[in-house]
Amino acid sequence: MKTSILAAAAVIAAATALPAAAQTATGTVTINGTVGDRCQFTLPSDVINAGELSLQGSGATAGKLDSSKLDGQTRTLVGWCNGTAATMSVEAQRLVNTTFTTTPPAGFDRVVNYSATATANSANATDTSVTDGAGSAVPVGLFTGDVKVTLSSSSSPTSGLLVAGDYSGQVLVTLTPSVTPAP
Amino acid sequence: MKRLALVLLATAALPGIAHAQATDTATADVGVSGTVAKLCTLGTPTPAPVDVGQMANTSGARVGKITVISPRTVTLPGSFCNFAGSAITVTATALVSTDASAVEPGFAKAVNYTADVANWAAGSATVTTAATAGGGSPTASATGPTQPAPKVADLDVTLSNFTAPSDFLLTAGAYSGLVVVKLGPVASGGD
Repeated sequence: MKTSILAAAAVIAAATALPAAAQTATGTVTINGTVGDRCQFTLPSDVINAGELSLQGSGATAGKLDSSKLDGQTRTLVGWCNGTAATMSVEAQRLVNTTFTTTPPAGFDRVVNYSATATANSANATDTSVTDGAGSAVPVGLFTGDVKVTLSSSSSPTSGLLVAGDYSGQVLVTLTPSVTPAP
Repeated sequence: MKRLALVLLATAALPGIAHAQATDTATADVGVSGTVAKLCTLGTPTPAPVDVGQMANTSGARVGKITVISPRTVTLPGSFCNFAGSAITVTATALVSTDASAVEPGFAKAVNYTADVANWAAGSATVTTAATAGGGSPTASATGPTQPAPKVADLDVTLSNFTAPSDFLLTAGAYSGLVVVKLGPVASGGD
């Protein structure tokens, strides 16, 4: 008798479980996000101290610009851009005598011009300090790594004698995501 | 309904992307500096050396005494200082006989002159030697006015006013003198 009672209970339990299988449901949570176009320098500055800028000695060129002091100078910055439309531009700002600030006499210069080239992701952006403002932006795209800055073509406005003093200038490198803003 | 609501929230966030991008331009700088030291250079004297030739009269009322020696000019082309505040110091040594013997009374073994260095500052650097008849104290020096700006110029060194001490008779022989021009900062007296 005990056996038959247990069997009957099992049947009842099975019967009560059947309605639960028919109520299965699935909920979904969709996860979205965005990554904005960005550019960033992780090594954003460096310094070129060119030392004595004028030719020494007593020859005909003594006192004039020693172009070897600037030409070929390189510094490596580090940065990245995460968008395919990113661009890079360079602005070379001339070296100016900061201790002699008046107009120099005939035969002298107090300014040193040069060209600067920034190379990143096989793209080269250039600018000359002869004209104000940055040079043309070039596509640089997705990249992470070195941004190599190289100086070249240094000169003084009249190829004259350089006025004694301290000279200072700078090269600005700009990385731009270059995404058209949403209307 | 929840599912739809989540999608709408994500979409609503999208217009904010453009604003974030505008602030993500990155700029780096490489400072470039240098110096130019103070420098003065004198051009090569032209002509040099100066040979004034025969200095004593060989006839006439002043025979044996110093003759009229015309002024001589030596140019130092392309001389310059690349800073403000420079000056010229001129040091002249009288023409003195290379014969070391003592002179007899009435004779002189030195010829004095004036050395003038022009075309640097507002005035010249001028000095006149005052050697004795025996050739003593032959050297004199003077510093000219200050040049207040960097300058490049051809300097003219003029030798003139040749005289013998006390207008004595000149002893025979070779005579030699020297003019030294120094161009430099005023603070160092032109050295």
